[in-house]
Amino acid sequence: MDVKLPQLAEGVESGTAVAILVAEGQEIKKDQPIMELETQKAVGSIPAPASGIVTKIHVKEGMEISVGQLLITIREAGGETAASPPAGAPPPVEQRAPEASPRRQPESREAPTLSHHYQSSSGAPPPAAPSIRKLARDLDIDLTRVKGSEAGGRIVLEDLRAYIRGLQQIADAGLTAQSMAASSAAPRREAEDFSKWGAVRREKMSALRRTVSRRMVESWTTIPKINQFDDADITALLALRKKHAPAYQKKGAHLTLTSFLLITVARALVKHPRANASVDEGAGEIVFKDYRHIGVAVDTEAGLIVPVLRDVDKKNLFDISRDLGAITEKTRQRKISLEELQGGTFAISNQGSIGGGHFTPIIYSPQVAILGVGQGSPKPVVVDGKIAIRTLLPLCLSYDHRVLDGGDAVRFLREIIAGLKSFAEDDVIIN
Amino acid sequence: MEPSKTEIVVLGAGPGGYAAAFYAADRGKKVILVEQNPRLGGVCLNAGCIPSKALLHATEILREAKDSAARGIEFGAPKIDLDKLRTWKDSILDKLGQGIKGLAQKRGVQLVHGRGHFEDSQTLRVETADGQKFIAYDTAIIAVGSKAAMPSAFDLGNKRIMTSTEALEIQDVPGDLLVVGGGYIGMELGTVYAALGSKVVVLEVLPSILTGIDPDLVRPVSRFAQKAFKEIRLNTKVLKMATAGKRIKVTIQLAGEQREELYDRVLVSVGRMPNISNIGLEHTKVTKDDKGFIKCNARQQTDDPHIYAIGDAGGGVLLAHRASKQARITVEAILGEPSVFENIVIPAVVFTQPEIAWCGLTESEAKQKGIEVKVAKFLWGASGRALTLDRPDGLTKLIVEPETERILGVGIVGSGAGELISEGVLAVEMGATVRDIADSVHPHPTLSETLMEAAEVFYGTATHTLSKPQA
Repeated sequence: MDVKLPQLAEGVESGTAVAILVAEGQEIKKDQPIMELETQKAVGSIPAPASGIVTKIHVKEGMEISVGQLLITIREAGGETAASPPAGAPPPVEQRAPEASPRRQPESREAPTLSHHYQSSSGAPPPAAPSIRKLARDLDIDLTRVKGSEAGGRIVLEDLRAYIRGLQQIADAGLTAQSMAASSAAPRREAEDFSKWGAVRREKMSALRRTVSRRMVESWTTIPKINQFDDADITALLALRKKHAPAYQKKGAHLTLTSFLLITVARALVKHPRANASVDEGAGEIVFKDYRHIGVAVDTEAGLIVPVLRDVDKKNLFDISRDLGAITEKTRQRKISLEELQGGTFAISNQGSIGGGHFTPIIYSPQVAILGVGQGSPKPVVVDGKIAIRTLLPLCLSYDHRVLDGGDAVRFLREIIAGLKSFAEDDVIIN
Repeated sequence: MEPSKTEIVVLGAGPGGYAAAFYAADRGKKVILVEQNPRLGGVCLNAGCIPSKALLHATEILREAKDSAARGIEFGAPKIDLDKLRTWKDSILDKLGQGIKGLAQKRGVQLVHGRGHFEDSQTLRVETADGQKFIAYDTAIIAVGSKAAMPSAFDLGNKRIMTSTEALEIQDVPGDLLVVGGGYIGMELGTVYAALGSKVVVLEVLPSILTGIDPDLVRPVSRFAQKAFKEIRLNTKVLKMATAGKRIKVTIQLAGEQREELYDRVLVSVGRMPNISNIGLEHTKVTKDDKGFIKCNARQQTDDPHIYAIGDAGGGVLLAHRASKQARITVEAILGEPSVFENIVIPAVVFTQPEIAWCGLTESEAKQKGIEVKVAKFLWGASGRALTLDRPDGLTKLIVEPETERILGVGIVGSGAGELISEGVLAVEMGATVRDIADSVHPHPTLSETLMEAAEVFYGTATHTLSKPQA
């Protein structure tokens, strides 16, 4: 069967193959990742739609691949090679007549893909006439960011114009112009020769590392943020966890502090919708979302990945615990799909299992707030005029001041703290 | 003495230096051009490109006349008047040298003749015929070029042991000429002397002549040289040279065995070194790279912020047109423009029989760097024009990026390859695809058609051949 690149997510038409994980002649299982793809949104793996033997690989690492493009051919166990619908996706919507792409054509020049990044197998710079290259140099435009429309991807004046027009549209919209400048247009710092001071080792930044780095710079340079510190008393909550963990375990779920955090935060988000919002500066609007999809930062061998749990406020603690376990495992094995990394409205970064106190997490733009959680530890606390030992959980809410004011943020954080402190046992019991 | 002041001083008036001086003047800068040789033009004009090509052209007739017999036109034995040949050659150099001088004067570039020596980062002392002159400048461009290397073991002070500079003077036609080094200089001058009647032996320490060039481009040249020269010995080393009366006794090592041979003259062409040992660089912040050339960045700037270096002095591939391009980039850099010497296609031409020319990525380089390419080759045996010229010993090839069909490099061997390569340069610089060349009509019957045919070979649809591209 021919495996084609499935529809990845809304608005994602293509990506760069950063790693091919199978070889020709290799036997593969259904859902085994066949390649890793970097899109402007994230890095994710493409699962095999069926088991069989890879007879041909049609793409190469570093190649830009569009939805529907042929990736590999598999000889299915017991079956002959035959064309099939794209991997892991529903069959093509409908086989429509030649006017197939009326939507995409005007787009290509009017609104250029600003996330374009030219890479060629030979390592050659993007194809463009010397006159165009000179113009780009004079304007300090990195041509690898400009999508060429001519044969072989050659960049012509019109492409450069379209790119600049796109940049201006963004600037007009007041969106992420700053971050664009920071990540692409600004001249790169000249590489320092560290070997002058001693032995060094160089390692290529993985696609994931680059994505993380780009997103963090974007967040850091565009969001006016405030960090709000506080502690939550989780003494009672820990007791509840200890008491009910075995029951969860029996049913195949792991009752973790993160599960409690997820449900508590989701409920607080219902009451404090601004913390669940996004800014649309172009439209001059704040977008309130009627769903609470929470991202959980997962520390994988390859680096930070943030899978998203859907509709957390509508789930009970058991479902959350089970889903969290499953998605974390999937993430660690790099089997998480692009879809599962998208659509988050808020994020939690819990470093507690490793240790550490208060820290200031970076907001996962376009979200407007993130909760950074340290390790809970016993502390002397004044309770009813007496010193008592309570387990305090260090919390830090980092938030976007464009949307949330100090009062909003503190009220939201206090809501979470109160929720954690007096977590109802009824909500823990599996029904 | 009060130093004269200028914005830019250019040291050396070769194809790098005078190009820099002229362009800077054209862009409104006050420029002084310093040159020690009375004739401007540098190595290229005085002891390189120009005289060698004059001699190659003049002597090529001898070979053509001989070959002509097979085509039914015979000539008598040629008479060679070396003095007249030399005078004709020198007249070209004078004409070009005068031309450069005139162009300098019309642009208001001030010429100072004499040896330049840096006193500090912003002062140049020039020893002229009228005594020392000091020039205070904002920016200096070093364009002092290179000279033929003469290993001390061979440097006996014997005039019969020559570098290319002396060989171009053609003092006589030696009966037996040994060429040490099978690089392009040795092969070009070997061709001149062989045509004049010398028995030429080429010694090369490496396993191939013209090392670094794609082997399929070298092959026709090897075949020609094997006929025209007495011998080409590869993997061979010269151990010693000694004066033996009017001849040179050369001790060579070939396959573990030592041998002594006598030659009338020896041409040593084993590489070139920069002319920077005596120009006072120690009084500036300029540093050298590990090969002894001036270290500079992509904007041709040295480690001294007031000093730039271009051409052979800065190392890399030693080519006149590369120096001229660097000259323009340097001037633009000085003017504050963002120009850099990066991703610039520098074609190379070897004026052997037949000529070899290439640009952009070569097949060998692709292999070495693990870049996957497709190579489309067109053999000149199928070119009507090549046959009418009686030169079917040619090959045109395109080095192509497979998925985009973009032309990354072009290689040509054959008569007039040097004139053909510029289309390849334009193609690579423009990011042209194979289809672009295939669809551009080339006039018939010309050798330029071989580029179009090679492009068609890529698609397996070439009119005059049945070959397919190689992965």
